[in-house]
Amino acid sequence: MTVRVRSATKSFGRTTALDSVDLDAGHGVTGLLGPNGAGKTTLLRIIATVLAPDRGTVTLLGRDPSRPDDRTRIRERLGYLPQDAGFHRGFTVFEFIDYVAILKQMTDRRPRHDEVRRVIDLTGLASVSAKRIRALSGGMRRRVGLAQALLGNPDLLVLDEPTVGLDPEQRLRFREMISHAGEGRTVVMSSHQTEDITALCTRIAVFHRGRVRFTGTPNELTAQAAGRVWADSQRSAAALAAWRIGDGTFRNVGDPPAGAELVPPTLEDAYLLLMGEPDLEVTHS
Amino acid sequence: MTVWHLDPEAIRRYAQGAAPPELAASAEAHLMRCATCRDAIASHVDTRRVEAIWREVVDRADAPRPSWPERILARLGVGEATARLVAATPTLRGPWLLGIAGVLALSVWAAQVDERLLRMLLVAAPLGPLAGVAVAFAGGLDPTREIGLAAPYSGLRLLLIRTAAVLGVTVPIVAAAGLALPGSHWLAAAWLLPTAGLTCAALALTARMTPVVAVGVVATAWVLVTTPTAMAGHLDLAFGVGAQIFWLAVAVGGGLWLAVTRNTVTIKLGRSA
Repeated sequence: MTVRVRSATKSFGRTTALDSVDLDAGHGVTGLLGPNGAGKTTLLRIIATVLAPDRGTVTLLGRDPSRPDDRTRIRERLGYLPQDAGFHRGFTVFEFIDYVAILKQMTDRRPRHDEVRRVIDLTGLASVSAKRIRALSGGMRRRVGLAQALLGNPDLLVLDEPTVGLDPEQRLRFREMISHAGEGRTVVMSSHQTEDITALCTRIAVFHRGRVRFTGTPNELTAQAAGRVWADSQRSAAALAAWRIGDGTFRNVGDPPAGAELVPPTLEDAYLLLMGEPDLEVTHS
Repeated sequence: MTVWHLDPEAIRRYAQGAAPPELAASAEAHLMRCATCRDAIASHVDTRRVEAIWREVVDRADAPRPSWPERILARLGVGEATARLVAATPTLRGPWLLGIAGVLALSVWAAQVDERLLRMLLVAAPLGPLAGVAVAFAGGLDPTREIGLAAPYSGLRLLLIRTAAVLGVTVPIVAAAGLALPGSHWLAAAWLLPTAGLTCAALALTARMTPVVAVGVVATAWVLVTTPTAMAGHLDLAFGVGAQIFWLAVAVGGGLWLAVTRNTVTIKLGRSA
């Protein structure tokens, strides 16, 4: 396993952001799903070695990030896109990625510039590489964030809400890039968009109030909702959630009444059910 | 029309980069027009050397021109990677430097009106560069702080680069303000060693706390100790010869401690692991 977290707990003042969390992630894309404030960002910051847990153990790429030497070795093989990735807005795209490459200890100018050009091409930024970052759209800036994370071909890629704020077309392009990045390496990403998780992730962990409520594959999560989604001409009082769909009928999620017209569940239905049942915790090996 | 060709020896020397300048220039002009000689030279060319030259040409043409602060630093002998790190130091932005200069200009004007304000200016002078060091690492002002924290670059090295950059810019501003003060110019320069000592003390504390907190601790201690003595008119206690020797010792001691512990102590650039 590239990422192994055991009983990680982290508090900020009186707020417990993470409460005894376990997580394993290996090759492929692992998704952290949950509402805002569920603890996803805190866990990703711990995996990115930016934060240390108050309690519990973390092993990344076979090393212990609490030891200074190990932490440096981990960071040499790590790419990180924070949720609110900031930029030196006066820098051009090339200059900014070059600056991060220096922080990643690529000090020889020519190989470093070659690497900067590689990630710029990979993320489709070649046409704007000479533009100042302040002149770029939000979607383009997000690509710059991904480009800097891909510098040095990291073995572990940590992406916090990589698709937030993107329009549908940009999100599709981003999914393509993340899917490509996940081949042959470990990607841990967070999202509160179930579509992103369904499209990209081989494993998911669902977070709620600092705890992991589910771990397993997207299909296993979807299976949790089998027999608990039904169509009706009206909103059912028994439903945890209900909404009108395109054909005018209501999609109800919860405990169906006798004789209800059951329909195949989606990942979003299972996620809603999980969020609506506060004591349920499910772990698949 | 070309009726002559390069002799085999000239071709060999040109291809190996061993031709004297006049032969190289003549051969180059001829090769532009003569396909026969271009064919002849192809087998003598070291493709690895040509590729290396081509990559260098592409890099020079394609990479953006460094900003003017980076170009100045390069002329001073600073490496281009270090120059880029300096250019990204938040405190070196125009508004911050203008703010320092503005506050100092007002202080100098006030010090000329009232002698007590002159003493307070001496107390406050080291705080400008110290604040610059703190701001260079403040989360709100360094937009790439989170990315930097997850990067393997040495925290101590980044700390020293940014501190040197901040001191290199702010000390001349404060010194210029000092020269505009009434009275002895020696007194106007008396804050320099305390600034060096306080900065080294703050840097040494970064093994235990973030730079912002370390600067806060050192600055608070400085103000609490020096304000009462300065207001009472006892400037010697904080700025006299004995005090200057003390601050020199603090600066040297802090610098030595950083040098000795550079491989064993983790610098806390932020609220990090």
